[in-house]
Amino acid sequence: MSNWQRLVWNQRDALLAGLGVTIEVCAIAFVLAVLGGLALCLLRMYVKPLRPVAIVLIEFFRATPILVQLLWVSYVWPSLFGFPDSFFAAAWLALGLQSSGYLAETFRGGIEAVPRGHREAAYSVGMSPFATFWRVIVPQVTLASAPSIVNQFTVIVKSSTLVSVITVRDLMFQSQKIVNIWYEPIEILTATAALYILLVFLVSIAGKTLADSLRSRYGIAAT
Amino acid sequence: MSDALKQALDLSVFWEYRAVLLHGLAVNFYVFAASVIVAVGIGLAAALMRVSRLPPVRWIGTVHVEVFRNAPEYIMVVWVHFVLPLLLSLLLVKRLEFDPFVSSVIALGFVYSGYFAETFRAGIEAIPRAHIEAGRACGMSERLILWRIVLPQVVRRMLPESLNQFISLFKATTIVSLIAVPDLMYQVTMVTQQEMQPLPLYTGAALVYFAVIFAAGTLLRALSERWRRKIYA
Repeated sequence: MSNWQRLVWNQRDALLAGLGVTIEVCAIAFVLAVLGGLALCLLRMYVKPLRPVAIVLIEFFRATPILVQLLWVSYVWPSLFGFPDSFFAAAWLALGLQSSGYLAETFRGGIEAVPRGHREAAYSVGMSPFATFWRVIVPQVTLASAPSIVNQFTVIVKSSTLVSVITVRDLMFQSQKIVNIWYEPIEILTATAALYILLVFLVSIAGKTLADSLRSRYGIAAT
Repeated sequence: MSDALKQALDLSVFWEYRAVLLHGLAVNFYVFAASVIVAVGIGLAAALMRVSRLPPVRWIGTVHVEVFRNAPEYIMVVWVHFVLPLLLSLLLVKRLEFDPFVSSVIALGFVYSGYFAETFRAGIEAIPRAHIEAGRACGMSERLILWRIVLPQVVRRMLPESLNQFISLFKATTIVSLIAVPDLMYQVTMVTQQEMQPLPLYTGAALVYFAVIFAAGTLLRALSERWRRKIYA
């Protein structure tokens, strides 16, 4: 038991700091993913000349492994585009971009699922295209894609373990640092694994509860 | 900036090392194939446990699914590679070490077995009870019902979703480079350290993975769609 105390409990400051960085990276990446996904989806659906560009970007983000993208963004982008200027920025950028590809497709599915009649009804009562989009389409798409959005957030948390590879000091990084100091991996790695599983579990439960309550409040049966 | 772009798209370094890199890509496929076998086998077992009539068996199945579905692949790979051999050594009182390849197959196989179990379960539960009852009425054994009536329908139903999981699993095989399995990503990192040219090498790796995954995904989806239509029609 003393091993657990020495290697896990006494290191709690480092681990908590790492957990904080993990949450920070995931939160920024999630916001980026939602905004980026929305932008890509709108470009793909409504801006004809940019449509091929959007499709290529979406497919590229979706079909490259996250580790590859992480290394590509952090080592190639700075000389190519001049940013990101830190590994931290590269981490959330790569995580966000990958998920934005997935979310763009989710949003597109949601928009296409809105019956034509709703749009026509809105136009016939004189709503502008923007008002129609914002008041009629967006709420329905949000409700319909809420579970997928939550799911994508858990994917971001899981992928965020890899940002330790580019030396972002997240939970994984801190725990591997402790392993490298003491050379006793059993307790600390087990604790880290348990912590991550618990974190993802809590996130998905919380997200599911939120999505279900939204859907039942606005009259779509929870699935 | 245009200089950097030219360098990034100048894939001659990538081409120069094609033999090593291609071999790396083959390692990705080996890890993938072995993990698929583990994941589908254990996933099926876990799904059958989750629909079992005995509550304790059901609980074990549920815990398995919840743990592995919520576990990040990277921490599992690291845990299996560095912790599991030590625990087994303590248990067997014999020094034990895993080959990185074995560790990655165990870890990825177990993580994805959680996803496959859920897909299998959804497929099993979608089968009308009457089919099973009809099988029983004809005097078929439970095992025969499983193999002849339940599983063929489950496989057809779960095909589209399991294709997505196969693709995720293939993408996850890049992680094994971090415990020194010599896959494409590992070779790219090694060559980068030698040539000091990260731009074309990482760009090339991203493009290769994109081409492989995009092509395989599109092809498999088209094939499975055709196959499903043929059977349902």
